[in-house]
Amino acid sequence: MKLRKSYLSVFTSAVLLVAGAVTAYAQAPTDPQIAGIVQTANHIDINQAKLALKKTSNPQVKEFANQMISDHTSLEKSVNDLAKKLGVTPEDSATSKQLKQQAADETKKLASLRGKAFDKEYASHEVAFHQTVIDAAKTTLIPNANNAELKSALEGAAPLLQGHLEHAQQLEQSLGAK
Amino acid sequence: MGVNERTKNVGCHCLARSRLPLMRSPQLQAHIYILAAVATVLSAVCVRAQNVQPAGATNHIVVIRQVHFNPPQMTVKAGETVEWKNEDIFSHTVTADDGSFDSGLIDPDNSWQRTFQQAGTVGYHCRPHPNMRAALVVQGTNGTGAAANAASRGGTLKWSPPTKAQELHPILVNFTAALLPLAFLSDVLGRIFRRQSFHHTAWWMVLYAAVITPFTAAAGWWWRLTEGSTLPAKLITVHEWLGTTAVLLFVVLAIWRWSIHKRDTSPNWAYLTFALIVVLALVYQGSLGGRMVFGK
Repeated sequence: MKLRKSYLSVFTSAVLLVAGAVTAYAQAPTDPQIAGIVQTANHIDINQAKLALKKTSNPQVKEFANQMISDHTSLEKSVNDLAKKLGVTPEDSATSKQLKQQAADETKKLASLRGKAFDKEYASHEVAFHQTVIDAAKTTLIPNANNAELKSALEGAAPLLQGHLEHAQQLEQSLGAK
Repeated sequence: MGVNERTKNVGCHCLARSRLPLMRSPQLQAHIYILAAVATVLSAVCVRAQNVQPAGATNHIVVIRQVHFNPPQMTVKAGETVEWKNEDIFSHTVTADDGSFDSGLIDPDNSWQRTFQQAGTVGYHCRPHPNMRAALVVQGTNGTGAAANAASRGGTLKWSPPTKAQELHPILVNFTAALLPLAFLSDVLGRIFRRQSFHHTAWWMVLYAAVITPFTAAAGWWWRLTEGSTLPAKLITVHEWLGTTAVLLFVVLAIWRWSIHKRDTSPNWAYLTFALIVVLALVYQGSLGGRMVFGK
């Protein structure tokens, strides 16, 4: 039953993500918007990891959250450096706004949970979130990036996000098995 | 005059005896000076050695960049050292799939190295990014372990001062391994031939062993803390605690032997039995050490 619930949440997120990606594709984001989307995604993941550090007592979840903060802070810095170098000022877009709204809802949900329920929700949301971002990068951000350097930076971030996804999946599995 | 002088001598003797029981004759004083000199030299060597970064020769380099291990597959010979250099902007780990080693987090611009003794193929990954996978093929030499590998490389006869735990520990072990069994043998010979000089020799050797062995153990622990992951886990666990126990046993043995020496008698069977047990433990301890370095 619990398993079905978590599948359901992944599925819902996946649908939202595809929907988001499709919308974004239809609107074909500009380079400043792409930079804005990446920045937003970074912010969201760092903030949720900070929340997780406050709420969890599970050492694996703590380790994962610390890694998210460290990795996404480094990624954010490299994105900012690149944007500055290219003279691109990150801009909001429908996609970034949608990401923010989803994150606010999720944060509310996470705030109401505690203990193991929190850990499980955080892990499964991290799986869904990274999947969303990876798909958005593949289908929308990379194909629409005008600047070659921005495009290759986005391509370079893909294995990092894939790593986070697999780590989050491992975490989710180990929490479910306990 | 003669009487006076004798009285004076006896008085002097008593005074010295009451203050410092060991300072009985110039000969014993010389022993103490030698002992102090040995201890000074040894501690100087250890302090110097600790300041020097154990700079193991790196034979191969794997670069970590853009969330990838480069090259993803590498072949090395047993006994060779591989260094992982993190040139990425993220922290990574080098973690064996079979759990045989784990670097812990390597921060950007840092590196980690390990020497591989056991032949075979080991897959490894990065714990934070499980999609980072790579493999290492360790080719066996004709023998196993470092000795065989040194032989295959030809080795070098050039003298260089010992700076690594892997060099210091075997050197210091010689003293421990020689002194204690010889002290025991000397006491046994003293009882057989009823010669007190054998017992004197035994006392000094037990004392030297008790002074040197803590340094031997410290070098061993240093080895274990820097390169412990390359040693067989089960053997090193027994070796490290047996070694630490041996340090304490040696101190007990030295105090016991000193109380016998003070009474100027020969040791009783209880002492000899205890000493024999410690010697046997030491032999077992040595065999574990050998097994770890040279393989089965």
